[in-house]
Amino acid sequence: MNHRAQRTRWSCRIAAVAVLQVGLAAAAVAADEPWAERTRALGATETMPSGPLSKDQLEVLTNTGKDLFEAHFTTLDGVGRPEATQAIDPTRRRHPREQVFFRTAGPDAGSCAACHNQPAIGGSGDFVANVFASEGFESADFDSLDPQFSSERGTNHLFGAGLVELLAREMSDELQSIRTRALSEARSSGTTVRLPLEAKGVDFGHVSADPDGSVNLDELDGIDTDLVIRPFTQKGVMTSLRQFTINALNHHHGMQADERFGPRWTGSDDFDGDGKSAEISSADVSALVAWQATLPAPVQLIPAASGWAEAAAQGETSFSDFGCTSCHRPALPLETLSFTDPGPFDQAGTLNDGQVSASAIYDIALLDWAKSLPRDEDDRVLVPLFGDLKRHMMTDNQIDVLGNELLSQRFVDRNIFMTAELWGVGSTQPYGHRNDFTTLDEIILAHGGNGREARDAYAAASESEKSALIAFLKTLVIVP
Amino acid sequence: MTTISPLLAISAVWLAALGQSASAQTAFTADVPTLHEEAASAGIDQSYTGGWEFFVGGGAASFDCNGDRLPDLLIAGGSAPAKFFVNESMTGGALAFKPMQTGLKAEDLTGVLGAYPLDIDNDRHTDLVLLRLGRNLVLKGGPDCSFEKANRSFSIDGGRAWSTGMSAIWEKGNRFPTIAIGNYVDRSAPGTPFGTCEPNQLLRPHPGDVPDYSDALRLEPGHCALSLLFTDWNRSGEPDLRITNDRQYYRGGQEQLWEMNQGRPPRLYTASQGWQRLTVWGMGIAETDFDADGLPEYALTSMGDTKLQKLDEEAGEDRPTYRDIAFEKGATAHRPYAGGDSKPSTGWHSEFADFNNDTKTDLFIAKGNVQAMPDFASFDPDNLLLGGFDDTFHEKGMEAGIALNTRGRGAIVEDFNMDGMLDLLVVNREHPASLFRNLGVATDWGQRALGNWIKIELDNGKINPSAVGSLISVRTGTRTQTRRIQIGGGHASGQTGFVHLGLGVSERATIRVQWPDGEWSHPYRVFANQHVRIIRGEANARYWYPVAQ
Repeated sequence: MNHRAQRTRWSCRIAAVAVLQVGLAAAAVAADEPWAERTRALGATETMPSGPLSKDQLEVLTNTGKDLFEAHFTTLDGVGRPEATQAIDPTRRRHPREQVFFRTAGPDAGSCAACHNQPAIGGSGDFVANVFASEGFESADFDSLDPQFSSERGTNHLFGAGLVELLAREMSDELQSIRTRALSEARSSGTTVRLPLEAKGVDFGHVSADPDGSVNLDELDGIDTDLVIRPFTQKGVMTSLRQFTINALNHHHGMQADERFGPRWTGSDDFDGDGKSAEISSADVSALVAWQATLPAPVQLIPAASGWAEAAAQGETSFSDFGCTSCHRPALPLETLSFTDPGPFDQAGTLNDGQVSASAIYDIALLDWAKSLPRDEDDRVLVPLFGDLKRHMMTDNQIDVLGNELLSQRFVDRNIFMTAELWGVGSTQPYGHRNDFTTLDEIILAHGGNGREARDAYAAASESEKSALIAFLKTLVIVP
Repeated sequence: MTTISPLLAISAVWLAALGQSASAQTAFTADVPTLHEEAASAGIDQSYTGGWEFFVGGGAASFDCNGDRLPDLLIAGGSAPAKFFVNESMTGGALAFKPMQTGLKAEDLTGVLGAYPLDIDNDRHTDLVLLRLGRNLVLKGGPDCSFEKANRSFSIDGGRAWSTGMSAIWEKGNRFPTIAIGNYVDRSAPGTPFGTCEPNQLLRPHPGDVPDYSDALRLEPGHCALSLLFTDWNRSGEPDLRITNDRQYYRGGQEQLWEMNQGRPPRLYTASQGWQRLTVWGMGIAETDFDADGLPEYALTSMGDTKLQKLDEEAGEDRPTYRDIAFEKGATAHRPYAGGDSKPSTGWHSEFADFNNDTKTDLFIAKGNVQAMPDFASFDPDNLLLGGFDDTFHEKGMEAGIALNTRGRGAIVEDFNMDGMLDLLVVNREHPASLFRNLGVATDWGQRALGNWIKIELDNGKINPSAVGSLISVRTGTRTQTRRIQIGGGHASGQTGFVHLGLGVSERATIRVQWPDGEWSHPYRVFANQHVRIIRGEANARYWYPVAQ
């Protein structure tokens, strides 16, 4: 090649680069326009909040969190994960996927609010908003609704979720303290020590400790072997709003949070191979958590319709008499309303309080809705969740409709589920973990296993008693 | 050309911006642990000293001798007595050891080059084999860190050789372990030391209710062994004996693989069977299985290059033909990475482990000049080769804090304070041993914990209670990691107790165990960051917790 030809070739290359630069510059300008097709709330929280936040600071953060929750993420934000699966552990897809959205294995939603919207943003979802829970490891490319590949799940509402997580943390602390006491007594006495595991009045079986420091896990009931209550999802397998948020962002949107999918744990700044790096910062996650954690708790609201108040009162009595309250506990006491994020029980892959210099503290007591929460004589908040944060077997030999899955999920057998918290149930039909019961009557009658006795009591009741119970349940509503 | 370069650079920047996914793989981005040296404050004061017989050796043994499951230590002293240390570390706290008097005579603990722990008589008290210059000693463990000499009661002669390595395995159907002893130079042979390597020994137990090793087999020829390892190299369920040998002194020697035939004398694998002649200054063997395919890889330390051997897929099934993947994996570690000395390194103890709990296998190599060999590096820091997500190793010894001016020999990689992060003991020649506590990752606000972890202890029952020879398979997501419970390898150093694995971001794991007799267990479902006990025959795993502080 002579010099002239070489110069010509390089001139062309220079021109190409110049055109490229101009084009990219134009794109960069466009991305900053108000109409740009990207989510402006991403990155709006520049640093992770830490320490106690004032009411005003909390409001700024939660507003950003709400914006993110409502945002329709786009490919410019990082939507899609052509090279990664929906799995909680970062997992490469065997074959890149061309489509951004995919109904079963995901991504399956444009925004969080696309599913969590009943009766308001942050709420539950109708059957159409069901998701498909699969570990996403071996069958990442499944394209079938066959339950051998996935378990279909209704979308839970998030109102009062901050209180739920606080309850779970306090209960986990209690249970682990009992374990520590059993170990201490076993070591000092030289004999096996067996203690009941009870937290906030809920029985989780027994723990046995041997003098050598070993703990027998055979008699645990409704809780994971590490004695951490994982209050979220229908199965009760997610520890925190933070963990669930990171999972969901990846699963449903292909938006990957740095704190799990970033270079520290994957070696890549674009693990999902969509051309976007640093899609969700830890501060973004914090904003989303803050908004969810401060959503108001559902309330009891009795419609003005004639006779409803009387029926609801009778139904509430029956709810107890039938034995429903043995699992759907009307309230659990909560010691503190200080919500720390990151929290204490998450493990690597979700930030916890040992992974940051100082967690942020959101004082839920600052919020207006929290002022009306009932308190007991010890000034503890009585969280009216109608649940026990415990998993139960929901089938038996006769009643097995709630055991209709083929897959266990994260070590939890297919017929075992977390007690559904009934606060807000009047605003969140349809019912059941698959959202496939159209009436409360149907879902009550579907209770087998640990719920069988209460279910039978309900089934044997008079029609007026049943009606009253429904009247009561329908007063448990979400008021955004 | 000078006008082109800037344009090329601009083009590269813009094209890189366009093609992020293609260039998304970054350099080493996982955690680099801070390994804080605190031997003195921890109460560890032991140097490995002596004349040229103690240029090699310098090992340690880690085991629990008082039933609290914290790893206690014996550290060889060479010409000085070996010392015992009881672990009194607080969970997650500073390391703390207390010297322990066992009542053994100083003369018995003198001349020790290394030590391996194992429960020879199945009484659930760890015994110790002390490799010595002269008669090897077997110490029978008892309660509360008591030890008594057991050569007579176990009918183990102990010999008169210069012993430098050991490995043990329970051969199928045997009540007691088979023990292989590696010997170095025969100092009494004419022409010593060159070409006068002592044969090695194989101690097989006689049938009976008590250990009886009265008939030792000679493994000839010996090629001046420095590390031995029983290993199931071909996933046959029948481990063979691998020996790494020091070419400094042998003539016509090579690396060795002995085929262990049940009830018959072992036979050396030959070239016709696929074994390829390899001559190195073999100092230590480490085993791992990068891809959990049941066919292990081996790191062989030497002077100069470290070898990293992988079974050659093209050699044919059941042929022990290996190819060296050290270069492609970035694990040659052939010269110092710090200090400016560009002469070749001298590698000793090697051990695979996960120091940063990211699920990627790391490799530690103790380094140090033999004594004052002028052609080899004088400042020769130990290696911490962290496995990257690019499946190569990255040297991080300097960042971690282990690049000291010592002559490393044996080592123990163990979680001494039970916080799930691996600590490190390095025995140094003519220098106090180094004890590094893993503090996690340094940040601008303090130390941050590493990834998730799991530690597993097996209970195989009455025979071989600590399940030597078992394979532990741990599954998280699509990843399977394995660990083999072995006695042997490294450089004159061995350990028993919990087996550690990093789990990265996984919060749960499913464990299966292939017990020593080949039987696979059912899956055990466990949560991360737990000490797990798996007792053969029990439906559920147990957890274990250190004393609360």
